[in-house]
Amino acid sequence: LALRSVNSSRSAYACVFFSSMFFQHYCWTAVSQPCQKEKQLSLPCKLIIKSVLPVFRCVNVLERNVEKCSISTNPNDHHITFQLLCRHGIVKTYNLTFQECDPLQAVFAKHMCPNILKVHSRLLADVMIHFPTSQEEITLSVTPMKVCFKSYTEEDTDFSRTMVTEIQLSPEEFDYFQVGVDSEVTFCLKELRGLLALSEATSVPVSIHFDRCGKPIAFSIEDLLLEASFILATLCEAEKEAASPEPACCPQPCDSNADTATSKKPQQKGNTPSMGSAKPPNALAKQEVKSIPRGMVRDVPGLEGAATAAKAAGGETTEAPYEKVRELPMNSYLYKYCIFQFHSLFFGAVSYLEKEAIGDTFQSLVTASDTEEDFGALQSSQV
Amino acid sequence: MRFRAKIVDLACLNHFSRIINTIARLAKTCILRLTVCKLYFILSDKVANGGASMWCELSQGNFFDEFQMEGVAAEHNEICLELVPENLSRALKTAQSAKAVKIKLTNKHSPCLRVAVELPSLSSSGRIVTHDIPVGVIPRRMWNDFREPSVPDFDVSIYLPVLKTMKSVVERMKNLSNFIVIEANLSGEMNLKIETDLVAVTTHFKDLGNPPWASEDGCQSSAQGRDLASMAEACIDIKKLQQLLAGQQVNPTKALCNIVHKRIVHFILLHEEVSLQYFIPAIA
Repeated sequence: LALRSVNSSRSAYACVFFSSMFFQHYCWTAVSQPCQKEKQLSLPCKLIIKSVLPVFRCVNVLERNVEKCSISTNPNDHHITFQLLCRHGIVKTYNLTFQECDPLQAVFAKHMCPNILKVHSRLLADVMIHFPTSQEEITLSVTPMKVCFKSYTEEDTDFSRTMVTEIQLSPEEFDYFQVGVDSEVTFCLKELRGLLALSEATSVPVSIHFDRCGKPIAFSIEDLLLEASFILATLCEAEKEAASPEPACCPQPCDSNADTATSKKPQQKGNTPSMGSAKPPNALAKQEVKSIPRGMVRDVPGLEGAATAAKAAGGETTEAPYEKVRELPMNSYLYKYCIFQFHSLFFGAVSYLEKEAIGDTFQSLVTASDTEEDFGALQSSQV
Repeated sequence: MRFRAKIVDLACLNHFSRIINTIARLAKTCILRLTVCKLYFILSDKVANGGASMWCELSQGNFFDEFQMEGVAAEHNEICLELVPENLSRALKTAQSAKAVKIKLTNKHSPCLRVAVELPSLSSSGRIVTHDIPVGVIPRRMWNDFREPSVPDFDVSIYLPVLKTMKSVVERMKNLSNFIVIEANLSGEMNLKIETDLVAVTTHFKDLGNPPWASEDGCQSSAQGRDLASMAEACIDIKKLQQLLAGQQVNPTKALCNIVHKRIVHFILLHEEVSLQYFIPAIA
């Protein structure tokens, strides 16, 4: 199951994949519309995050009371049903309408980034704690000798009023440290906090892939059960726009399939038109879909049970991060990209399982970010 | 003008942070005056502050392991800075486990207090967090505005009740009214009163004790010869009182207030290493 979201200025993109093993039960059925020429392999749908979050609102309450969470879709009706099976036989059912939409995908070749840092989430949290929660943007600068996080102030800020905070770390503190090119990238800290919260809760180290300023930066966490990536636009020195609050430059969604593998994109300022440019990735998505091995077992419809956080397969994900993440501004739609496939539970790349049921984490994570780059981070990680 | 100081001891750092937190609650902007031996946090009674003023004095030797100060000139060996104490409070907040905290006055783009916190870390070189807090330098000609306030000619002086109790009373009263009347007499009795159209609430404190004030030149102050039971009162902004009480995280060694009837209330809170005076004018 994949949940993706992008922020309103398209400068931050988030996607989280849950492997089927994350769930107690994971069933897919392909739906073929009689009117369509080919079997519809994917049903991307989108939900309004504000409607989904109340379902998973109080983490503590959920952990105590909910025994199972079941998520099912009814595509004909355009409904997704969340059912919380609680103690004492109480069942809470939420029916939410979704809209079909074009798939959303960011293409970002992580393996082509010259700078890669891998660090335990505890370290990042310890670093971010020194910045005020109102701090919008921070600058990360690296040389082979040191790493520095600094609060970013625009050129026209009144220096006599703003407090500037800077943290210097030595490369030894990182689990993995590769700096191919000295660079200084500025990105939006607020968008990132969601991922940091998730990473802390799951104790999975965070990988940071980036290049020079202007090129996007990707923060990702990956383990057996889930994989989350946040791709943020970075500010380009040459093109600072005082007017736009979000970092301005970001490559646009890819326009042709051929370009998807590369991370080079034409630089454009401003926001992308919302849906139009997402169309080509649709074709792309279909390509990817076809390459997934089809399972031999056709699963029975009637999806059940994303395990609740407390009982997740690995027992790792708790709802705590989602709770924290929920507090972030949620203005974006949740794009749920449901690819209907026959999928055996035995195999399927962890990162590529598109399943319906994923509740909590996705939504919250997804709301947090807005990327200008919506690109298939997925691609490079799937193979 | 130069200033450099360093705190190494964690207990001193904690104590200093707590004082800064208290100041931050009382004033959005205040003056920091540095002399060779002392630091003063000053809020002068401008209209912008609602007429309240504050004077907080600490001996640098109680907190800093190193303290070097060179004032504006030899005969005026002092530095006066205007800053936002909330910034300083924030910078120190995450320094609770620091190996050392260094504070330095710098002037890169504009004058700043640079707070450098050295944090322990797994690697051989520690982690350094630097906060640049913008400050304004107060020119010498304005220094007269920031002299120590004199104790007013009060009518009654009385020790305050246990601050925690007083705080909870005032906090509840704050929900009902914007103004509170403090009245006290020389028999150790104090009342806190609020009155609205719907309700009037009074809390009585007894046996508080009145501090002895030696009069300076032997002549009678207005407090002497005063009827022991007669109350001096002042009606003040309840929010200011609440801010003062809420900011006290540690019980002071001595806490008292002087009331000038219908004019001003002067609070004095003394701790071992720091003294805080806060003046709240009465509302007409």
